[in-house]
Amino acid sequence: MTDSRRVVHLKQIDHTELRTLATYDDIRRLCFEAVHCGFGAVALHPIHCERAAEHLRGSGVGIVAVVGFSTGAFSIEGKAFEARDAIERGATEIDFVINVGALRGGRHQLVLEEMRALREAAQGHTVKAILETNVLTDEEKRLACELAIDTGLDYVETSAGFASGGATVEDVRLMKEIAGDAVKVKASGGIRDAQTALAMIEVGASRLGTTAGVQIAQTLASMSNDLDREETK
Amino acid sequence: MNRIELAERIKTGILGIDVTEQDVRSHFATAKTYPFIAYAVDLSYLRLAKELLRETDMLLTAAVSYPFGGMTLATKLDQIRFALSVEAEEINATLNLNAIKSGDYDTVSSELRAMVEVANGAIDVIVIPQFEILTTFEKLKTCETLLEAGVCAVKTDGHGGLCQPEDVRLVRRVFGDAFSIEASGGIRTIAQVQELLDAGASFIHTSTALDLLRGADA
Repeated sequence: MTDSRRVVHLKQIDHTELRTLATYDDIRRLCFEAVHCGFGAVALHPIHCERAAEHLRGSGVGIVAVVGFSTGAFSIEGKAFEARDAIERGATEIDFVINVGALRGGRHQLVLEEMRALREAAQGHTVKAILETNVLTDEEKRLACELAIDTGLDYVETSAGFASGGATVEDVRLMKEIAGDAVKVKASGGIRDAQTALAMIEVGASRLGTTAGVQIAQTLASMSNDLDREETK
Repeated sequence: MNRIELAERIKTGILGIDVTEQDVRSHFATAKTYPFIAYAVDLSYLRLAKELLRETDMLLTAAVSYPFGGMTLATKLDQIRFALSVEAEEINATLNLNAIKSGDYDTVSSELRAMVEVANGAIDVIVIPQFEILTTFEKLKTCETLLEAGVCAVKTDGHGGLCQPEDVRLVRRVFGDAFSIEASGGIRTIAQVQELLDAGASFIHTSTALDLLRGADA
């Protein structure tokens, strides 16, 4: 059984806190957990970037700011402004919700222009385009991935996690199929346990957005202990 | 109340992640047949809605930092300036809820003052405190902070919250007529509208206003 060696690296986890009722203490705890568990980044609303940057100074943990969150229904200039502002406040990565309504309405040029504007606004920082796959047809998902590749974005991401449902294995597989090595895939929304996390990695996700990072890390650690025990027998 | 009387207390609109331009056009085409007070859209459709609304008396409402309020003050102000440039008449802005939940009313207050200053009387500032997730103390403290900052319109809930008549009564009882209380969140029936108006709501916000009116007397 080498299968479970196909592991989730904890660096692949974006430790996420986007609830409106999260307090400053919750943000502090989130940052502490990210450092303690060795997660790659925390993901939060832009209002928390400065606070997170303070908590994480010198830790190497990244700060993902969500932009245009969660409807994506903002002007291109507005989202670009928000991305620049977030980076000034300490964000190291930008996860923006694309203009889903424009994509669904066939205004593909607008979606492309927006991706370009965000790419530029991010000034070389990692950019992830959140597609909200749950409200898209496969054809729309495919098109969005192709536009992201054309633009040179770093990631396509499944979901904001607040519309109905989150990442599915089928969507991640489809996105990976189109993306190949040109753009990476982040699975987000509804990933609440290690099994689901492993399933997403298995079909090609490079990054996971989850609020259950700590539990996932614990389960993975105990799975790995069990495996070591098997091997020593 | 008949349909017309009801419509004159209702603010409607179409908001959400999956809304297409065609959705806005067809929603508006039916909405314009009633004298609704205002029409709200996401910022991506603000220019379109401005064009559409020209032929009506409805006010144009821009959703700012919507729905979570997690955008920085700088971004909120940028969005208000955009709304001003399109000549929207009012904004619905979600408050910095994380600051409220952290007891940081100084931040809430300074954000509100900056927003009022940028709005400069040219656009009505209506804020959303998302009552559903607040304690009674937080609700009252937030309203007090609003008044001190010069904001006198409060929209109870947004994005999934369900408007409670008790919340409307609470604000009316404690603050009298200081606020325009705009009830919003899960309002789908005429019975709810009536209950909220009786409780002291000034306006009712609902995206399903047309379905709702179908249940009323002509």
